[in-house]
Amino acid sequence: MNETIFEARDLSRSFSVGSSPLRDFADHFLRDRPPKVLRAVDNVSLSLREGETLGIVGESGCGKSTLARMIAGILPASSGERRFRDEPYESFLARNRDALKVQMVFQDPLSSLNPRLRVGDIIGEAAVLHGLVRRPQIKDYVADILSQVGLPADSMGRYPHQFSGGQRQRIGIARALAVKPDMLICDEAVAALDVSVQAQIINLLMDIKQDSGLAMIFISHDLGVIRHLCDRVAVMYLGRVVELTETEQLFASPLHPYTRMLLEGMPKISLQRRRFMPIQGEIPSPLSPPSGCHFHPRCPMATEHCGRIRPELREASSGHVHACLNIEPC
Amino acid sequence: MSTAGFKDYAQHFAESRAAVVSLAVSLAFVACAIFAPLLSPTDPYDLTQLQLSDALKPTGSTRMLPGEEVRANIRIDGSATSVQPATPAKTHVTLVAEPCGLNCLGVGVQPEGTRLANLQIRNLPAGATVEGARKHPVQSWWTVDNPEGGKVRIASNGPLPATFTFLAIARSMDQETDFVFHLGTDSFGRDMFSAILYGVRISVFVGLVAAGAAMVIGTGLGLLSAWRGGITDAIIMRAVDFMLGLPALLVGLAILAILGNGVSKVVLAIVIVQWSYYARTARSFAMSELGKEYVEAARCLRLSPARIMLRHVLPNCMPQIIVLFTLNIASAISLESSLSFLGVGLPLTRPSLGMLIASGYEFIFSHKYWISIYPGIVLLVMIVAMNLLGDRLRDLNNPRLDR
Ligand SMILES: Nc1ncnc2c1ncn2[C@@H]1O[C@H](COP(=O)(O)OP(=O)(O)OP(=O)(O)O)[C@@H](O)[C@H]1O
Ligand code: SF4
Ligand SMILES: [Mg+2]
Repeated sequence: MNETIFEARDLSRSFSVGSSPLRDFADHFLRDRPPKVLRAVDNVSLSLREGETLGIVGESGCGKSTLARMIAGILPASSGERRFRDEPYESFLARNRDALKVQMVFQDPLSSLNPRLRVGDIIGEAAVLHGLVRRPQIKDYVADILSQVGLPADSMGRYPHQFSGGQRQRIGIARALAVKPDMLICDEAVAALDVSVQAQIINLLMDIKQDSGLAMIFISHDLGVIRHLCDRVAVMYLGRVVELTETEQLFASPLHPYTRMLLEGMPKISLQRRRFMPIQGEIPSPLSPPSGCHFHPRCPMATEHCGRIRPELREASSGHVHACLNIEPC
Repeated sequence: MSTAGFKDYAQHFAESRAAVVSLAVSLAFVACAIFAPLLSPTDPYDLTQLQLSDALKPTGSTRMLPGEEVRANIRIDGSATSVQPATPAKTHVTLVAEPCGLNCLGVGVQPEGTRLANLQIRNLPAGATVEGARKHPVQSWWTVDNPEGGKVRIASNGPLPATFTFLAIARSMDQETDFVFHLGTDSFGRDMFSAILYGVRISVFVGLVAAGAAMVIGTGLGLLSAWRGGITDAIIMRAVDFMLGLPALLVGLAILAILGNGVSKVVLAIVIVQWSYYARTARSFAMSELGKEYVEAARCLRLSPARIMLRHVLPNCMPQIIVLFTLNIASAISLESSLSFLGVGLPLTRPSLGMLIASGYEFIFSHKYWISIYPGIVLLVMIVAMNLLGDRLRDLNNPRLDR
């Protein structure tokens, strides 16, 4: 399967921070000061093939969740283009039932479940409303989905607070699966769980992927998990993709200095958590990112033009792109 | 809320004895309001039942039945007698006649034992007299003052004619009844106990309806504000700020000055005053709920905005809104009472507690304290109970207070 299921081109998202409509208005007329803008995602282009798993890694605050929400269609983009199976997102999202094809699993297993709804309603509500199942069949349908994620059928009548973290995340996955998605975005879906539980959830996701051929975008801090699960990986830094390639390729021969530092920070032999080590230097504020290459204040390879020129993504070899000015094309 | 969650909640609630008592008292008031017509011994709205002789009676006094004049044409036809009342209105006392032996006819009143000021018999046939009566100098009118047992006897030396008709007029004296005004009466002679029950009914009704309508409208606007954000939010929230900046009583007075008084207008005035509290609360809690991932999940499931707001966000804001509702019922009641006290609230014929307090105000310096004091105590207890209840519910919802 090599067809593209999802494609993003020059996708950006800015937030105006610390402002209110009234203040914007006053600023506009009185001081003529441009509102403070935070570019959480800055010209990101990527694509996802049918059945593929794409990993996204990056430090906290680099815009992974913002990107994920734009891909899921629950956050409008400031600029750029999104396509689902070659259809622009605007028309795709307008058809509610088709838009169900893109689903998301969230980070916080508790706050991502409505505490006032029973698990049966959490999982079955959308399927019934969009006509995927008829109301009389909903119990069987939900029981079936619950068994897919390894929960007993009697979970249906209970409330989220009566479950453990891992079970809650299974409910969150069941909710997404219940509307028969073709594409699943997991935004740090295991980050809030204990290590042993993490492994179970990751295995569950892999089983689901194998059974149903879902395309998946898997966002994580954890390079070990990414390496285990993903076909390709995108590395993000301060809102931009700095490197994107096959997983093997990335771990074998990382090109971008930031990727290399991430991998160096990763313990080589460890059965325990494999989080990346803090990298030298402070993470710059996303409100006033460094000019040129965002990474230049921390980059060991930086040269003087790195602070002036914004590096565009370029292809080093087939399917391996990076955004660094100082890597010779090989 | 889950059943387990509810049980927990009820248990925490019950930890405070004051809260339990205030809940019981509040429910008792609601019950009073619902069952007032059954509980109350008189109907204070029935103006025909009022009599001036009962006005301003102190606590524990009994109702006086005022004296009345009853007339009836009594026709004797052989051994049959027929009494035809000639007084138009319904009276407490009715005239009766029955033979009392040969050539003798007794005339009296029902009920037995009614004390009469006098009983007059007119137009007797010739030869008949009334025992112990004084006769009118010219007419055939016989009057017995203070007749014993409320009865007179018509006698004759010769036989009475077989058929004759005469007129009887009885004037009864003021009488005590065994109806006790436990809380006294007001200046119209209304039983204060009944009036207070009906006053509670009106106050609770106005409080519930007004606070409920304000809750629906205010919460709706608050949710709209939270969902739409931007200019909608700015407009609604500036309106809220504006309303919160004005004193409630002043707004109520102004609205009623324009609209005139009446239950629906008081309710409208309270809604206009109170919607802003709900709007602000609903907005702020909805905003914090909207930031949670379950809302994003719902949007990802492509549920409609209305469904997300009403089925997902609203139930999570409901505990806070219910607390506000409890507190606002109390303040709606006190606002209504204040307006009625100031004379712009409810009409005089259907007194609420505030109106009762106001109507007793002019008598309080002549030691007729009961007209104002009893409704005042009832109002106070009701508002304190509802406030304590609301406070307790609010404490339970506040995660910062360690339960
Ligand atoms: N609604 C918002 N309003 C203003 N700023 C926002 C908003 N959402 C995100 N941001 C900012 O955008 C930047 C990227 O946030 P995002 O949540 O996408 O990062 P992330 O990579 O997911 O981080 P983490 O690993 O901590 O989840 C952050 O600096 C954040 O403060
Ligand atoms: S562009 Fe310059 S600063 Fe940026 S990563 Fe490459 S070498 Fe480092
Ligand atoms: Mg995130």
